[in-house]
Amino acid sequence: MATDTITARRLTNGIIAFLLIAVFVALFFAYQHHGAKLHAPRLHVSARNLPYYAACSFLRMLAAYAVSLVFALVYGLLAGTSRAYERVLIPVIDIAQSVPVVGFFPAAIYFFVALAHGSRFGVEMAAVFLIFTSQAWNMALGVYEAVRTLPGDSVEALEVFGASGWLKLKRLLLPACVPKLVYNSILSWVTGWYYIIACEIITAGPARYQLPGLGSYLMTAQDKGRTGEIIAGLLTLLTIIILMDAIVWQPLSVWAERFRYEFAASSEPIRSLGMFDALGAIGPIVLRLIRGATRPIGRVSRRAFASARPFNPAEHPGLRRAGRALRIVGQSAIFALIAWGLIEGLVALIRTLMRPWPTEVRRIPLATLASLARIIVAYAISLAWTLPCAIAASENPRFARRLAPIAEIVGSMPATALFPLIIVFVIRLTGGMNLVSILLVITGMQWYVLFNLLAGVSQIPADLKEAARSFGLSRAATWRKLTIPAMLPSLITGSITAWGGGWNALILSEYFVYRDHTYQVFGLGALLDDATYRTDNSLMILLTLLSMVVIVIVLNRVVWRRLYDLAADRYRIEY
Amino acid sequence: MALLELRNISKSFLHAAGTLRVLENLSYTIEEGEFVAVVGPSGCGKSTMLRIINGLMPPTSGQVLYRGRQTDGINLECAMVFQSFALMPWLTVKANIELGLEARGVAPIEREKRAGVYIDKVGLDGFEEAYPRELSGGMKQRVGLARALAVEPRLLLMDEPFSALDALTAITLREELLEVWQSADMPVHNIIIVTHMIEEAVELADRILVLASGPGRLVADLKVDLPRPRDRRKESFNALTDQVFSLIEERA
Repeated sequence: MATDTITARRLTNGIIAFLLIAVFVALFFAYQHHGAKLHAPRLHVSARNLPYYAACSFLRMLAAYAVSLVFALVYGLLAGTSRAYERVLIPVIDIAQSVPVVGFFPAAIYFFVALAHGSRFGVEMAAVFLIFTSQAWNMALGVYEAVRTLPGDSVEALEVFGASGWLKLKRLLLPACVPKLVYNSILSWVTGWYYIIACEIITAGPARYQLPGLGSYLMTAQDKGRTGEIIAGLLTLLTIIILMDAIVWQPLSVWAERFRYEFAASSEPIRSLGMFDALGAIGPIVLRLIRGATRPIGRVSRRAFASARPFNPAEHPGLRRAGRALRIVGQSAIFALIAWGLIEGLVALIRTLMRPWPTEVRRIPLATLASLARIIVAYAISLAWTLPCAIAASENPRFARRLAPIAEIVGSMPATALFPLIIVFVIRLTGGMNLVSILLVITGMQWYVLFNLLAGVSQIPADLKEAARSFGLSRAATWRKLTIPAMLPSLITGSITAWGGGWNALILSEYFVYRDHTYQVFGLGALLDDATYRTDNSLMILLTLLSMVVIVIVLNRVVWRRLYDLAADRYRIEY
Repeated sequence: MALLELRNISKSFLHAAGTLRVLENLSYTIEEGEFVAVVGPSGCGKSTMLRIINGLMPPTSGQVLYRGRQTDGINLECAMVFQSFALMPWLTVKANIELGLEARGVAPIEREKRAGVYIDKVGLDGFEEAYPRELSGGMKQRVGLARALAVEPRLLLMDEPFSALDALTAITLREELLEVWQSADMPVHNIIIVTHMIEEAVELADRILVLASGPGRLVADLKVDLPRPRDRRKESFNALTDQVFSLIEERA
């Protein structure tokens, strides 16, 4: 009985969430024919322009990351501190996570181009929005988890001292978020690079949008077969990624360790020390420089405020009233916006669905199965090499230390940058687009599995390893009784992320235009791309996109969620 | 022939700031049938010593002779009880206890039978299918003890087995350990227990080895001939405790 009502409630929740997505997607399509005419700036493939293109892509990433960071903090803090918000925000993010970002891109372009009255700024906003959707969710969930798992006694300790509001935020909530936020930021940048490369050139129906950037540079260079320029572009990308790691992420990771609650069993690995040891040494230096540079600012501001009396809102009734009014205005504005979006979207959805349905709709179920099969194969291949790697890392710490930095670099290089070359090379070699497609899907899946498995392996407690050795367990028995069970939770977490990445990569990999030749295989991604790039049929785009969302959600609920619950229940290591 | 002989065992670890010497020229002999306690301040290398005896790590120099022969790798005639219990969280109590038997190639039926015997002996009846996380600390260490006993080791190694437990539970488990030790049908002939609790050593052991730290070395080797059961309130018990305590304090 009780389980029946829970299932029913979950089902209703799922359907409501799905309808919300449908409405949202349709809303974007309502703007389809506003921004079709847009002048695409010419791209000069020359190594001399590389710094400019690199700067463009980097700034785009930075803008998206800044928006993601603000979003993650606000969203995560709201969901983490208020039960009411939590009930709404967490299911919404759960669903948002499962929408394949890439499929959403044409719709986003229409919307933002229309919003910006057909200027290039609209395309820029669409690109930033796409990167944002690939970065924000895991960061927001990280903040939420950090706040929710905050040790109760540290909350109480602050409350005992009468701390509230701003002080609580500054001294407790924000510091608690730091480790997870840093860890997820690193992941978000990796995914961000993967998608920005793919989204700087996009053909949507009759219009071709092109943004100056590393991605469009690399695509054009490959299209023209300019080997020297391709290599220069890839080296530039690699340099940016390595520098980011050395100058930003290494020092931040070291710094973030200070905020870790020791007894809140960490689910992230303490980062391996550096891509290269030499670069790893840069981190502390940079940290010291930053500290040295900011200290005078802190000193000056402290001095400035030292004489001022502490601000007490209670003494300023006018200010408080103004604040309350501002909050009410803000809230009503947000609700009005949501209501407008819902109505507008619903109208657009109905209008789109009322159009004559193309015959290709009948191919959707079979295409879904074909794509699913491709992802399963790609997943199996990803597991086939990452699992032995992880097991080897568990047996041999020296191998683990060597593997981690190499995997970190190779894994952060966006494979999308090389898609055209891979496609041409493999097709020439074997002639099979199916193989190419699977290969490209693997590039979107394997690193998530590997990184999570390595993290899992590094967390196997030393005493369990000792016990296994002490009792004379053979290698195979150690795998069965210790290594594999201990890895299961991280394997499942990694698999969920990998499957998300897989669906996105699928859209990029089933259909590819290279030198005016279209390479494609039969699948959901190809149907979506065909509708997007060739026929420009928004009903078909909507239907394929929604089919993808449905299958992703169903798989998450039926397979992954259950496995995750089992793993969390049985295979968790706790002390 | 002696059961175990340590000859000039030294152990040092490579450390960021150089080498850390943990044990230096440790030598002693344990005869068949002894219950030995090793006490010393933290950092005196007692746990390291136990791991070297088990074969979990090699000594930097020196030899371990087990029944006259130099050991190489894990000594399967030993079994270890860990301070942190070290139970596999995904295995039931029974499967955890069978772990060592499985590694020794004991057939499933025999495995089950033997696990049953030791489950009974340590008072875990009714918990066979429970998972470690469902057990209290005391029950977990009972599983740890049963797992070690089940392989019927000639030498039982115990690494601070009761220090993660509350005082009352530790008292009960100590009594149970003595019962197991004194029962006639036990295959365990020798126990080495490492502890930092002097009373625990005096209560349990026939012989106490006192280690000093920095680097760990043997400073005293005492016989305990108090009759069992030993009463903690007796003058003789306290005299011995004081003696061990002052031995450790002198060297600190």
